[in-house]
Amino acid sequence: MSESTLPKKKSFWKNLQEILYGMASHDMSRYALRTRASMEHLFILITMGDMIGIPILPPYYSLRLLPYVVPQIATWKRRLLREKDVSDAMF
Amino acid sequence: MSLRQIFAQHPERRYIMFGGKGGLGKTTFSAATAYWLASQGHKVLVFSVDPQASLSDIFQRDIFGKGPVQIMSNLWAQEIDADQHIKAYQQEIRQKILDMYGFDQIPDEIEQYIQAASAEPAMEESAIFDAVVDIVVEGSYDYYIYDLVPLGHALYYLSMAKVYDEWITKITKLREEMREYEEMVARLKREKETEEDRILAELQYIRKRINTSSRILTDKQKTAFFFVLVPEEMILIDTRKAADLFAKFDVPISGYVVNRVVPRELLSQNIPPYLRHRIEMQDRYLREIDRLFGAQVVAQVPELERDVTGLPMIERLAGIMYGD
Repeated sequence: MSESTLPKKKSFWKNLQEILYGMASHDMSRYALRTRASMEHLFILITMGDMIGIPILPPYYSLRLLPYVVPQIATWKRRLLREKDVSDAMF
Repeated sequence: MSLRQIFAQHPERRYIMFGGKGGLGKTTFSAATAYWLASQGHKVLVFSVDPQASLSDIFQRDIFGKGPVQIMSNLWAQEIDADQHIKAYQQEIRQKILDMYGFDQIPDEIEQYIQAASAEPAMEESAIFDAVVDIVVEGSYDYYIYDLVPLGHALYYLSMAKVYDEWITKITKLREEMREYEEMVARLKREKETEEDRILAELQYIRKRINTSSRILTDKQKTAFFFVLVPEEMILIDTRKAADLFAKFDVPISGYVVNRVVPRELLSQNIPPYLRHRIEMQDRYLREIDRLFGAQVVAQVPELERDVTGLPMIERLAGIMYGD
């Protein structure tokens, strides 16, 4: 019996923990996603650079990676060619 | 040491290459060596990736782009059509994109990229060496005789391979770092990502291919690389330079084969001064070759009275090279 009551007691702390974790992690995950997106674009740049005139990787092998980044190509180009302004620093 | 002794003492050297400037007899020696090994009972594939390949000419059969073609018992020959290989590869990439995203056609900018990428000079070298990996990895031959493209290409590829390898190491690290972020977000959002693994897997595959292809050229155990030269000053200078460069890239040089030596015995006959001068000139450079390479010269092949095409002539040359 004591086994089933013990987890109940703990679950309050666990809930609290999860709430705190959730509060903290919301920002974290946003930040992680942003970093992740930057890295993604960096990755495409160093593999598909010659698409915008920067030859970096042997094209034979970058073609192998091409299918996986097809959906990101458009945003990648937009991001690279976009003009920067103050709002960039805010988000 | 003679060529015959080298093959007898090192049966583990299964990748045989003749390298040298164009037109010195690489293809001829490749064919003769293939012929000799096959006649000794080994299963042999002689192959070429040169778009101006002459295996078809020497065997007097059209084998270009037709896969391995059997020439005689134990002997197969293959000429790789690099263009065709690149086209098939492009098509494979297109099909993959169409399948992955259910497109009816390839988006314009992607198609442009596929075409532009294939126009780059490095494309052909990579495609060639990639095709060689296919041949060597999956084949079941005792010997692979690689009728090499002119030296520059091989060196270019070897230096590329080093750079690629480092590049892929870095990019793999980046990819793994990206994955950590990805996993963090996935954990927070209870999602699952699979795409990441596929790119990483591709990167690892690419690295494996590049390493395998450069290893074929640099494997000290399995590779025997012979330089072909003729007794002439320019060729000698070039060969020395190339040999230095090859040594830098760890290509194991097994010896030098001197071609087109005009028989000295002719001097005792009544020959025109033209020929006498040629023999004297060759004599001078033969001494130079002996001084430079000494025991590394594994064969001297005389200038024959006609070109080497067709099996009877190949057989005769094999006899000269391997002393049957």
